[in-house]
Amino acid sequence: MKKHILFLALFGFSSALWAQTPAQEQEKRVILYGGIAHLGNGTLLDHSVIIFEEGKITAVADARTVRLDTNGAEYHDITGKHVYPGFILPNTSLGLAEIDAVRATRDYNEVGSYTPNVRGIIAYNTESKITATVRTNGILMAQICPRGGVLPGRSSLVDLDGWNWEDAAYLMDEGQQLYWPSMVTWQWGEGWVTNEDYQTDIEELKAFFKKAKAYTQMKNPKQKDLRYEALRGIFSGKEALYIHANFASDIEQSVLFAKDLGVKRIVVVGGKEAHRVTDFLVKHEIPLILSRLHSLPYHEDDPVDLPYKLPKILYDAGVLFCLDYQGDMERMGSRNLPFLAGTARAYGIPEEEAVKLITSNPAKIFGISDLVGTLEPGKDASIVVSEGDALDMASNRIVLAFIRGKKLELTNHQMELYEKYKGKIEEGK
Amino acid sequence: MRKFFLFILVVLGGFSFGQSTFPTNGMKESSSLYAILGANVVTRFDAEAKQVDLLVQDGEILAIGSNLKVPDHAVRVQADGKYIYPGFIDLLSSYGLKETSRSKWDPFPQYESETPGAFAWNECLKPEYRAAEDFEVSKNQAEGLRKKGFTAVLAHREDGLARGSGVFLGLNSTNPHTAIIKPKASGHLSFFKGSSRQAYPSSLMGMMALLKQTYLDAEWYAAGGYEEETNLSLEAWNELKALPTFFKAGDYLSSLRAAKLGNEFNQSYVFYGSGDEYKRLKSIKATGAAFVLPLNFPAVYDVEDPRMAEFVPLSDMKHWELAPANPAFFEKEGIPFALTADGSDDFWGNLRKALEHGLSEKMALKALTYNPARFLNLTEDFGSLNRGKKAHFIITSSPIFESDMVIMENWSNGERMVFHHEPPIDLRGNFDLSFNGINNQLEITGSLSNPKASLWLDSTQIKGQIKVIDRSVQFSFYHDSLLAGTWRFSGHVFQDHWAGSAVGPDGVWKEFEAKRTAEFQDSEEDEAKESATRELGEIWYPLKAYGQVEIPEEGNLIFRNATLWTNEETGILEGYDLAISKGKIIGLGKNLDARATFKGRGGKVQEIDASGLHLTSGIIDEHSHIAISRGVNESGQNSSAEVSIADVINPDDINIYRQLSGGVTAAQLLHGSANPIGGQSAIIKLRWGMDAEDFKIDGADGFIKFALGENVKQTNWGDFQTVRYPQTRMGVEQAFYDYFWRARAYEKEKETALRDKKPFRKDLEMEVLLEILNRERFISCHSYVQSEINMLMHVADSMGFTLNTFTHILEGYKVAEKMAEHGAGGSTFSDWWAYKYEVNDAIPYNAALMHQAGVVVAINSDDAEMARRLNQEAGKGVKYGGMSKEEAWKMVTLNPAKLLHLDNRMGSLKIGKDADLVLWSKEPLSIDAVALQTYVDGRLLYSKSDSDNRNKEIQAERARLIQAMLDAKAGGERVQKPKPVHKHLYHCDDLEE
Repeated sequence: MKKHILFLALFGFSSALWAQTPAQEQEKRVILYGGIAHLGNGTLLDHSVIIFEEGKITAVADARTVRLDTNGAEYHDITGKHVYPGFILPNTSLGLAEIDAVRATRDYNEVGSYTPNVRGIIAYNTESKITATVRTNGILMAQICPRGGVLPGRSSLVDLDGWNWEDAAYLMDEGQQLYWPSMVTWQWGEGWVTNEDYQTDIEELKAFFKKAKAYTQMKNPKQKDLRYEALRGIFSGKEALYIHANFASDIEQSVLFAKDLGVKRIVVVGGKEAHRVTDFLVKHEIPLILSRLHSLPYHEDDPVDLPYKLPKILYDAGVLFCLDYQGDMERMGSRNLPFLAGTARAYGIPEEEAVKLITSNPAKIFGISDLVGTLEPGKDASIVVSEGDALDMASNRIVLAFIRGKKLELTNHQMELYEKYKGKIEEGK
Repeated sequence: MRKFFLFILVVLGGFSFGQSTFPTNGMKESSSLYAILGANVVTRFDAEAKQVDLLVQDGEILAIGSNLKVPDHAVRVQADGKYIYPGFIDLLSSYGLKETSRSKWDPFPQYESETPGAFAWNECLKPEYRAAEDFEVSKNQAEGLRKKGFTAVLAHREDGLARGSGVFLGLNSTNPHTAIIKPKASGHLSFFKGSSRQAYPSSLMGMMALLKQTYLDAEWYAAGGYEEETNLSLEAWNELKALPTFFKAGDYLSSLRAAKLGNEFNQSYVFYGSGDEYKRLKSIKATGAAFVLPLNFPAVYDVEDPRMAEFVPLSDMKHWELAPANPAFFEKEGIPFALTADGSDDFWGNLRKALEHGLSEKMALKALTYNPARFLNLTEDFGSLNRGKKAHFIITSSPIFESDMVIMENWSNGERMVFHHEPPIDLRGNFDLSFNGINNQLEITGSLSNPKASLWLDSTQIKGQIKVIDRSVQFSFYHDSLLAGTWRFSGHVFQDHWAGSAVGPDGVWKEFEAKRTAEFQDSEEDEAKESATRELGEIWYPLKAYGQVEIPEEGNLIFRNATLWTNEETGILEGYDLAISKGKIIGLGKNLDARATFKGRGGKVQEIDASGLHLTSGIIDEHSHIAISRGVNESGQNSSAEVSIADVINPDDINIYRQLSGGVTAAQLLHGSANPIGGQSAIIKLRWGMDAEDFKIDGADGFIKFALGENVKQTNWGDFQTVRYPQTRMGVEQAFYDYFWRARAYEKEKETALRDKKPFRKDLEMEVLLEILNRERFISCHSYVQSEINMLMHVADSMGFTLNTFTHILEGYKVAEKMAEHGAGGSTFSDWWAYKYEVNDAIPYNAALMHQAGVVVAINSDDAEMARRLNQEAGKGVKYGGMSKEEAWKMVTLNPAKLLHLDNRMGSLKIGKDADLVLWSKEPLSIDAVALQTYVDGRLLYSKSDSDNRNKEIQAERARLIQAMLDAKAGGERVQKPKPVHKHLYHCDDLEE
C-alpha cells in the first residue's frame, strides 16, 4: 500500500517537472529587479533592473535610478542574486552523443578524414539528457561541432532549448572545423608518440585546400563535389574557419596558410602553447578559443599552474579569446564551463573580464555580438540568474533562465532522481 | 665511398683439439707452442709486467716472465713495445643464439600456456631453457666482438621472466664443442614478458607477483611437491638457484624493486643496468648488488629549432649530459660493476666518453676483465693473466686507452686472430706531393687506423681516399677540371717521405713523391679533454623539473593568525595559531607562546604570518593512479589479489609535484578495475624527492581493489574479449564466492600441513584473500549500479567481513541506507556521468545523499588533473545537495582519512596529528582558492612562490643544456630528433602496461 502511494506521488511529480519540455514563447514583459548584474561587457551593476519583451532586452539600468511600471509584467525580485548573459559553450559535441561507451549513441565522427560537407546540426539531439544538465549551470548556447579527422564538417550554433534541431539552431553551418595535423598521435600500446607522417599530412591538407580553392572559382561545375562546395563559405567570408592547433609552430603555420589561401575569418581553437604566440595572434588579429584550462601542463617543465594562468597571459597581451571544454568527457563535463572562467579569475583576470570569457567574447568570435553575449538593450533576452556567484561551484545555483525571453524549466534527469531518492532517504529516517 | 677490406688472419695458435670425439678429415694438426716476446703484459687490471715473454699452448698460459727459456720448437711472435691485456668479457650477450619467434597475432586472449610438456603454467617462465643447447658459432658475430677486444661472453636468451641458463663462451670459430667453456654458467631473470602471448601477467606488478610465487612454488617442490606433480620448470629453477643470477629489470627503479624481491627469497642478483642508476645511487648501493652497465649513451637532441626544442624535457636533457658519467659515479660510490658492449653502437667511442667523464682507466679495465670473471666466480681461469690461466688475451699497439691504440691480436680459447702484424703506420701529417710536374699540399688527418686524405690545389680542397697495408700506401683523388679526372697513387712509406707511381686519366704511369712537411696535430683530442672538464649539472631528486638537490627539513613552524579548518568539533577557527615540529602538530590556540610551545625541541622557529589565509589539513585522495610504473591493471586473470601497487610506486612522476600544488598530501594508489578482484593498494604520502619506499605510510592498513560492472565483465574491451569469466553481473557474484570459499579451503589445508609438518605451497593470492576474510585487509570496490553494490554487501555479510569502501559508487544514493547499515563508506566523483551505460543514473547529488543517509563520504579523483582541484570538487557538495562547507571539506580530508583508517593521525588539525598542511589564499572550497604552501610531515614540499622561482632555474638549466647540445652537435656528435612524447596518465580502466 505504501508503495502505491509513493508511486502516485512520484508520477504526479515528474509529469509536472518534465525536464525536456521546451519553453513557451515569451508573452508578458519580464522585469528582473535588484540583481547583481554582470553585463558581460565589463560592467557590473550591483543593484540592477533588467526588462525584456518579445525576446529582446528593452532596458538595463541601475534600479535606484528608474521608476518601474510593473503592470501586466512578470516581476522577479532577484535582489542579492547574480544575473548574467546566458553562457556560451564553444566547440562541443553536445547533443551528438549521449553515452561515450555506447556506439549507438555516438554521432559525431563520419567516415573519412576530409568530410567538410557533413553538418553537425543534422544529428543534434534536442532530447539529450546531458544538455538539460548543462543548462542548469547557466549555459544557454553552444557551438555544435562534428569531430574526427582533418575536416570533420560544419558546426552550428544552437540555443539549448527547442523541439528539434531547426528550432534550436541559432546560426546554422556557421563554420568549418579544421584539425591541423598534430605532431603527436595516439598509438595503441605506445601511448602518445611522434607523428612520423606529420609532413605528409600537412602536404595532403595543403593539396586538398588548393584543389578546393580552384574548384570554388567555378560558378557551375559540371560535376558537383560536395566536399569542395562545402568550403565556399570560408572563402567568401560567410563561414569561419576554426583551426584546431595547440603547438606554437602549428598555430603560426596554420594561420599563415589559411591567410595565404584567402580565408576571411580565422579562429584558432586549442592553444596549449598560445602563450608563446601572443604577439602573432594580436598582430594578425586572430581570436582564440582556448581549450579546457582545467588541464595538466603539456610539458613536464612547464609551470604547474600554466594552464590556469594562461588566460591572464593572453588577456595582458590583448588577445581576443574565450573558453571551451573540449576533451575527455566534454559533453557531461561542459556544465563546468563557468568554473573555468572562475579559475581564470582566481589566477589573475579581473572579475568582469572573466565573465566576458564565456559571454561576450565567444559572441564576438562567432560574429553574433550584435545579438547576444551582453545584457544590453536590443540584445536577445538570453539571461541566467544565479543564487550566488555563478563562476564558483560552491555558489552557482541557477534559479532563473531565459532563452530569447522564453523561460526555461530548470530541471533535469539528475534532479528528478535526486528528489526521488531524497524522499526515500528522508522517509527512512 | 669504397670499402677497404681488412684481411684478418685466423690461425689455431697454441691450441690443438687434444683429445676429441671428432674424426679428422685430412691431416691432424699438431699442437703449437707460442712464445710472445718482449711485450708489456698487464696481468691484472692493477698489475703490469714490463718487457716480458708469454708462453701459450693448448689454450693455456704456460708462463709469463722475463728470461724465460723459450724452447726451440716455439713459434716466436716478436711483440716489443706492444701490450697484452686480459681479454674483455661481456656478460650481456645473445651471441650465437636464435631469437624466439613470436606467435601469430590472434585477437582472442590466451589464458593458458600453450607450451607442450610438463613445464610451468605460465609461458613467461622458461627456467628449463638452456642457452648452451641452442648455441651455434657465428663467425661474423664473433669477429665483431673480438675486434672490440672481447674474448669471451656470457650468452643467454632474452625471452621471458625466467630465461633459463646462460652459457659462458669463448669466441673461437671452430665449433660449439670447443667454444663453450661452461654450459650452465648463470641463471637469468627479467621484468619483461617476451614472446609469451598468455594474458597473465600484463603488468610489472603481475610479473613481480609471478616471480615471487615461483620462488614459493620451487621451495614447495623441492620440499616434497615433486611427489604431487612433476614440473620440469620448477626442477630447473631449483638447479639454477645456486648459480650467479643476472636480472634485467628495465630501469633503476625496477632494479631496486627486483633487489627487494630477491631479498625476500634470500637471492642476490647481478643487475643488467639501464644507465640511469646515478639518478638514485645511494639506494642502488644499499642493495649491495653488482651491476653490468651499458655504454649506450643517449645521442644529443637536435635543438636547433627552438620550437621543437620545447619538446625535450629537462629530464632528458640532464640525462643526456649525465649518462656518460654513470660508470664514474659507480666507481666513486664503490659499487662493483662490469661493462657491456650490448646496445652500444660505438663501444670504444662510448668507453672513451665514460673515461672523459671521470671513469678511471684502471676501473674501466677491471670492469671489462676482472669483474665479469668475478661475477661468474671464474677468476681462477679468467679475467687476469698468469700461469695456468686460460689463453684469453689481446695484444695492442699501445696502452689500451690511448687514442691511437690498435688491437692487433685477439686470443680466445687459444685461437689466435690477427688484425695487424705491425701497428699501422701513422700516415697523418702534411706533405709536399709532387707528381706530373705539379707540386701541391697533401694533408692526412683522421685516426691512426682510419686516415683521411685531402689534396689542396691552391685553395681548393679535394677529398680523396687512402689506405695503408704494412708499408704500402694507396690513395686517389678526383677533380674534373683541376685534375682532369682521377689520379691514383701506389707507393711505399719511408722514414719521412713516400715514393711510388701515379696514374692519371690518360692511363700513363708517372713517378710521385710526398715529402713530410709537418707532424699531425690532434685537435679532436684537445676538444674532448676540454668538454670533459666542463662541469656537469647537479643531480636533482628526482632528475627532472622541480626535482631538488636536498629534501627540505621537518621545520619548527608557527602559523600566526590563520583561519583554521580543524575538522574537529571546534569547527572553523578564525585568528588562531598552529605550531608544528618534527612532522607533528604540537600547538593550536590563540596567540601561542612560541617559547613555551617549542620548549625542549631545539632548532629555530619560523613564524609565518597567515593573516587572511586559511590553513587546513592536507587533501587525501582515496582513489588515485599517479606515480605508478608499467601498468595499473593486472588484467590477465579475474583475480589478481597477489599483485600490489606498492611494488611499483614511481616516485619520479611529475604529477606528484603537481598534486602537491593542489594541496594533496596523501593518496591511495589503487589497482585498476579490470577484474573483480584487483590488486593491493599503496597508501602513500606525496614525499616528493624521496625514494619509492619512503612514500609508503608506515603502519597503514592493507587495502585491496575490487571491481564490479562493465569493466570486470569486459563490456567495452571489444568483440574478442568474451572468454574470461565472468561476462555478466551474475557471474561476478559467483566469482567472489568461489574465491572466498577457495581461500577458506586453503586455510584448512594450511593448518593441516603445518600441524602434520608436511610441505605446503604458500599461495600469495589465497593469503591475501584470507586476510580479507580475517578482517586484516580492506576492500575499496569500484562500483556503479545499485544491484551489484547490494550484492557485494551480501557477499561480505555472509563471509563475515565488512566492505570497507565503495569507490565511484555512483548509484550509492539508491542504496545509501543499506550502505550505512552495513558500515561501508563511499568515495565518489563529484559530477562524472554518462561515459558508460552504467553511469546513466549517476547524479552529482550522490555525495550529499549518501552523507545524509549516514555514510562516510569522500570525493576522489581517479584522474591526475582533477586531483589537484579536489578542493573545488568538494565545493560541488555545497552546490549539489546543499552540504555545509565544513562537511563538504571533510569529504577530501577527514573522510578519506577515515576510509583509509588513517584518521588517528591525519585528516584534521589536532595536536599530535601529522603536520600535513595546506595554506590557502582563500576559503579552500572557493574557486578563488589557491594553495600557497603544502607541507608533508612538516616539510615544505610545495610553495607557490618557490615554484615560480624554480621555474626560472629550470629555464636557466634548459638554456645551459641547450647550448651544450648545440656545441655537441656542431662537434659532430650523433644526433636524435626531439620526440614530442606525451606521458600516459592512468585511469582505472587502462589496460596498457
